[in-house]
This record gives sequence, structure tokens and C-alpha cells, in this order.
Amino acid sequence: MSSAGVAEHSHADSTEFTGQPLGKIGVWWFLASEIMVFGGLIGSYILSRIAAGGWAAERAHVNTTIAIINTIVLVTSSFTVVKAHAAAEADDRSKARQFMLYTVILGCMFLCFKGYEYSREIEHGLTPASGLFWSFYYTMTGLHGLHVLVGIIINFSLFIAAGGAAWPHIKHRFEYAGLYWHFVDVVWIFLFPLLYLA
Amino acid sequence: MSATKPSVGYHTIWVWLMILLAIGVALLAAPVSKTVAVILIFSVASVKAFLVLRHYMHVRHQPLMVYVMLAVPLLLAIALAIVLMPDIAFR
Repeated sequence: MSSAGVAEHSHADSTEFTGQPLGKIGVWWFLASEIMVFGGLIGSYILSRIAAGGWAAERAHVNTTIAIINTIVLVTSSFTVVKAHAAAEADDRSKARQFMLYTVILGCMFLCFKGYEYSREIEHGLTPASGLFWSFYYTMTGLHGLHVLVGIIINFSLFIAAGGAAWPHIKHRFEYAGLYWHFVDVVWIFLFPLLYLA
Repeated sequence: MSATKPSVGYHTIWVWLMILLAIGVALLAAPVSKTVAVILIFSVASVKAFLVLRHYMHVRHQPLMVYVMLAVPLLLAIALAIVLMPDIAFR
């Protein structure tokens, strides 16, 4: 192998793994670790709920209407972020930024609704100390909300950075940010029936 | 992977997700037993998650290693719940 060939080979090794960019593999790896975090919490919740006989009385106090609105908001934000990713792949900067901004706004709406829901519950004396159900409720929705907040920060940073000269170097990050955001959506898809419906 | 040429339009998937959300909520009032309702609600949630994974996260275009990376913690989380089940059953 020539020296140029060696250099090219080592460059490919440092940026790709199994034909995928290292950054993308890193995001998938991170999401895999997150499965364990939320999976452990959800598993513990289900077991504790079975042991406690269903928590029917406690669950009657959660606000299903706000949760439905929040589900619509988050699912719609998944749609806008995938549109941002598609636009970034098509090198359409303005459309990519526009859809990313919609995603940020929808993420903020989700947190506002969640904050309102928390305030109503706390007003009624339903705090994490009110019982095991409420402990789980605040831990799971709080941790999820924290992930939404982190996603908003990432998406907004990307929206700002994409407006500058760095666009050609960062447009692939729309996909990474999208993967994280979709994961947050998938987690909510399971939290919603667990805490509000079933 | 190309996100610009999806096999099904992103709008179509969004519409399906909304329809499934409506079905999931409607199941609360369905004239079926609680157990059946819970099974159906979680089946609907699983379909929604599948749609997001397949069409928005483009999982089907990922290499085998990504599937392995996701499957291992998922199985561990399920195993965690199963191995703790006897603690409830024989309490």
C-alpha cells in the first residue's frame, strides 16, 4: 500500500465505522444507554404498580387532556425535525432552519404544558412525596422533560449555527439531533399510556 | 441513508400517528375488559413507536450493529422486570 493509500485508509478509519460516520454511531450508542435508563424506570414502575394493585385512585388525578395535547405536540415535532433533516440533506438551508425552529417552538410548548400540569397537581397537594405513584410520575415525566430541554438546547444551537458559515460542515448534525429528538418522542409514546391511559 | 426519498411520505406517517393516538384514547371507553383494553393500548403504542423508528429514524437503513446496540439494553431492561416478577408473585 502506498503512503497516500495508508493515509486515506487511516482517515476513513477515524471517521467511519461499519460504513457509518462515527458521530452517528456515537448517537446510537448514547440512545442505547438511554434505553436502559428509561427501560429500568418503566420496568420498576410496572412491577410496583402490579404490586400496589393498579393505583387507580392516584391515576384519577392526572390530567389526560393536557397529556393528549402534549402527545400531539411532541409527535408533530418529530415530523418537523425529520423535515429539517430531509431539507439539510437536500442542502436547503433556509427550509432546514425553518423546520428546526418549528421543532424548538413545539418543544417549548411541550414544556409549558408540562409545567402547567405540574403546577395544577402541586396546587392540589400532589407532590413527589404524596406516594409511590407520584414519585414515579414526577421522576419519569421529569427525566423525560429534562431530555426535552436538552433537545431544545441542541436544536436551537443547531438552528443558530446553521445560519452562519459553518453550514456545510454541520448540516449532517441535523440527522444526529433528529435521532435524539425521535428517541425522546418514542419514550413519551410509552410514558403516555403508562401514566395516563392504561 | 437518504431522508429525502422516503418510501412513505412523512405527512402520511404523521397522519397515521394521529389516528393511532385517537384509537389509543378511544380504547379507554371501549366496551372491553380492562386487561384487553390495556393490551390493545400498548399494542397501539408499540405500532406508533415502530412507525417513528422505521420512517422517522430510518432504522431499516442502519447496519446490523445498530440493531445489536439497541437490542441488548432493551432485552436487559425486559429481563430486569421479568427476574423481579417472582418478588411480586410470591409476596
